[in-house]
Amino acid sequence: MTAIAEIERVCIVGGGTAGWMTAAALANRLHGLGVRVQLIESDEIGTVGVGEATLPHIRAFNTTLGIAESDLMRATEATYKLGIEFCDWGRIGDRYIHPFGNYGPTDDGIPFYHQWLRLREQGDTTRLDEYSFPVIAAENNRFRHPGSDVRNVESSFGYAYQFDASLYARFLRRYAEARGVERVEGKVVDVALDGERGHVRDVTLADGRVVQADLFVDCSGFRGLLIEGALQSGYDDWSNWLPCNRAVAVPTDSRGPLGPYTRATARTAGWQWRIPLQHRVGNGHVYCSSFISDDDAQAQLVANLDAPMQAEPRRLRFTTGRRRDFWKRNVVAIGLASGFLEPLESTSIHLIQDGITELLALFPTRHFDPGDIDEYNRRMALHFERVRDFLLLHYVATEREDSEMWRHFRALTLPDSLQAKIDAWLTRGYVVPYQFGLFLPPSWVAVMLGQRLMPKGYDPRVLAQDDATIAARAAALRGAVAQAVQATPDHADYIRRSPAAAGLAA
Amino acid sequence: MQGFETSAPVGRILVGGSGLAAEMTVAALAAHLPPHVAILRVDAGDQRGSDLFYGSVTAPSAYAFNLSVGVDERRLILDSDTSFSWGTRYADWGGRGWMQGFALPFPVIDGVQLHQYLTLVAADGIAPYVAGVQAARRGVFVHPPREGDGQHPLARAEYGYQFDPADYAALFAAAVPAGRVERVAGSVVGVDVAEGVIAGVRLDDGGLVRADLYVDCSGPAALLLSALASDWQGDRRIGITVEDRASADEAPLRTVRVSPEGWQSETPLKGRVRHIRVSTAGAVEATTGRRSRGWVGNCVGIGQAVAMVEPLTPAPMMLLERDIERLLTLIPVRHDMGVEACEYDRRFADDHDHVDLFQRAFFTADGLPDGPYWQAAKARAVPEKLARKLGMFAERGVLVAYDLEPFHPEDWTILHMGMGLRPARHDRLADRADPARVRQFLMKMAGDIEAAVAKLPPARIYRAQLEQYLKRGMV
Repeated sequence: MTAIAEIERVCIVGGGTAGWMTAAALANRLHGLGVRVQLIESDEIGTVGVGEATLPHIRAFNTTLGIAESDLMRATEATYKLGIEFCDWGRIGDRYIHPFGNYGPTDDGIPFYHQWLRLREQGDTTRLDEYSFPVIAAENNRFRHPGSDVRNVESSFGYAYQFDASLYARFLRRYAEARGVERVEGKVVDVALDGERGHVRDVTLADGRVVQADLFVDCSGFRGLLIEGALQSGYDDWSNWLPCNRAVAVPTDSRGPLGPYTRATARTAGWQWRIPLQHRVGNGHVYCSSFISDDDAQAQLVANLDAPMQAEPRRLRFTTGRRRDFWKRNVVAIGLASGFLEPLESTSIHLIQDGITELLALFPTRHFDPGDIDEYNRRMALHFERVRDFLLLHYVATEREDSEMWRHFRALTLPDSLQAKIDAWLTRGYVVPYQFGLFLPPSWVAVMLGQRLMPKGYDPRVLAQDDATIAARAAALRGAVAQAVQATPDHADYIRRSPAAAGLAA
Repeated sequence: MQGFETSAPVGRILVGGSGLAAEMTVAALAAHLPPHVAILRVDAGDQRGSDLFYGSVTAPSAYAFNLSVGVDERRLILDSDTSFSWGTRYADWGGRGWMQGFALPFPVIDGVQLHQYLTLVAADGIAPYVAGVQAARRGVFVHPPREGDGQHPLARAEYGYQFDPADYAALFAAAVPAGRVERVAGSVVGVDVAEGVIAGVRLDDGGLVRADLYVDCSGPAALLLSALASDWQGDRRIGITVEDRASADEAPLRTVRVSPEGWQSETPLKGRVRHIRVSTAGAVEATTGRRSRGWVGNCVGIGQAVAMVEPLTPAPMMLLERDIERLLTLIPVRHDMGVEACEYDRRFADDHDHVDLFQRAFFTADGLPDGPYWQAAKARAVPEKLARKLGMFAERGVLVAYDLEPFHPEDWTILHMGMGLRPARHDRLADRADPARVRQFLMKMAGDIEAAVAKLPPARIYRAQLEQYLKRGMV
């Protein structure tokens, strides 16, 4: 066997959330293996706070790093998140919560909502939400950690955080630096390729220093300094499906009860987010420049804030899509350098996490085997595409036609995979399953039902039970949820009384 | 909300066939469908011969499948010759022997998979760490303990069954409650087709039976489905010959041996051993492959009516179970079955093609004979998806996986290593561990398994005692 040419030096280009998450994970997982990890960032270049709402998977990421939840929450002004509230999507005036959890149990392979559909057919008027602990808890601004007894509804959910992504990056920077990651202050002004294989050999900083590495991780954001600038990976533009390409963001004071959920409100040319943290509320308006001017978009945002602004609104531009090669030669792009999907379902940080997880699973040698690169690109393409379909669902599962944007979506031909999923749902409440994708069937159910895609049928197997039995079970489940929520503390109180409390006013 | 269309339309389902697929399908429909849906069964051809191609082993999935359709394992033990199985031993496949045992997922230590540590310390193989394989080697059996903290050496063991298709089918027939299924007299001789759907089936006694949904369980003849569509992907012919010999052995594993003409297996059942020979010719012959569509119009095919798979692994039974489960989740809600057909076909194609990757992998081994059977089996191109799996394992022990594969990562790990594939390098993260400690860990794991299986009873004794116990309890 020939000696393995192990990677000895990794250079991460770009700080920010992607850069420091990558640095922290590499510092932790490659600890003791003699890999030198450097991260180049410049205080001159601002970072894009990529969404401040996360998905439950981030807990696994932090746990692997050995980070205690309360330390993380205190450092990032975090609140708990049980889901996302979507307002005005199916119709103006509609609202629903997409929770992190199931609607009732799945018995004999049949998810509970089929029984609920049967009850509705018989005239029952309960909401499916009433069978979901996280939805009812969120509606009442309550939070507790999930219980461990799977027989109880208090165990039937996951949770994530709403936090300040810049503080998260700072927190992970301390973590990474304490574990040997070298931070290099400076701005990359030149990238040199080796003549033979076209790999990135080194990068030159403004002050003339040169940083070499075997593997470069491009976390430089939208511009993709290495993956695009130096290696011309190419970009698949998905604007046809997801045309939003601008955002304007502004923090406000906290007002009213502290919701354990993020809010996404549909607008005429995009949508507005509201993310409550301990010390402030993050707000923003994602919109499509073909349908609204920047000034009007900002005005719409400002008009729809519920508290005074803490800063001047900040504007961002992006193109939805993905890098053709997430990994090319010796450069792996992670975060915004790898592609962009609007943060409607809080997927930005999650896609960073996927990128890191797959990089570690397929960590290369200096030979950079094409098999590793192909497999990484195959996996990441699947992650991106499946998230894209799920985001697009929000725009097309609607009766809205009140603006040019909504009419655009009305006329759109959907990707076959999404069309088939919607057809199967409408016909019989069936969710086309997959294994390797972020959003599981309950998420699809939440959005489709929440946006007025009411199935015309349900799984006929539910009729094997008589209606009285179904109704009695449903009532018991509803009661258990209501009772459990009653016994659940107020979200703000829960944080205030815990070591996670930071800037939360008494 | 506008009107539901569920309650009325699909009120009659006709299952055509009388073999294993038909009995399993009928039992599943009877167990899961509401009483207002009429289930009819009519003979269609004769599947006794072709049923032999379902082979003699099931995967561990059989337990849950059977239970959900009303066949309790206790009945299986008391009323059939079915025996417990830890898997299949390929005695001399390309000059290599390994036991393709069943297993729950292997331990992941510090985020690194077990086989990466085996590569790190250049271990011989994975067999010493698979409890079922060690139990099989000694011919012993007990039900793997599932309670407790999972630390028992046998906690990750898994088992399937060794069976005789005709005997096994009778279990499903007996599980159907009296009066639930209408047995239509006569046998299918023709199909009336109108506007691309089946309008009725003609019987040999002159009768005509109509239904809303037709389920074709008539084996490779596909008497119903072939009236609507006739395509078939695949042209490799195989033949099978089966012979039973009395034996009290009841060893909990099947053994497969290579011959110049093909392969032969010995599968111990209760009181007998089933000998199977597969080659290019035999008492019963068939063309392997599948239809491009499993569901056409108002007719859905189950088992060999839509796919013929060589019984080299439990694949034929895995696919049969999956066909039936897929149908159960897609019982039509109205006369237009386009949505159901589309989704059924998508999953059918995926399941079949993924199973095919596993079976095709066997023929990538070096040192296999060169007769017509082997030439034909090796001639088929290695699919890109399989090349990726083999390549990534050989390169670095990465298990490439696709959506919802019937064979699990642990099946693939055992297969790769069994066939002699050794990753050229291990996961670098395994280097975080001290090799001496890894060796110690592995030695203890193997030692614990060895010590545990040394205490187990021979499978024959265990089964006899279990029967005694069940008879007392179930009288």
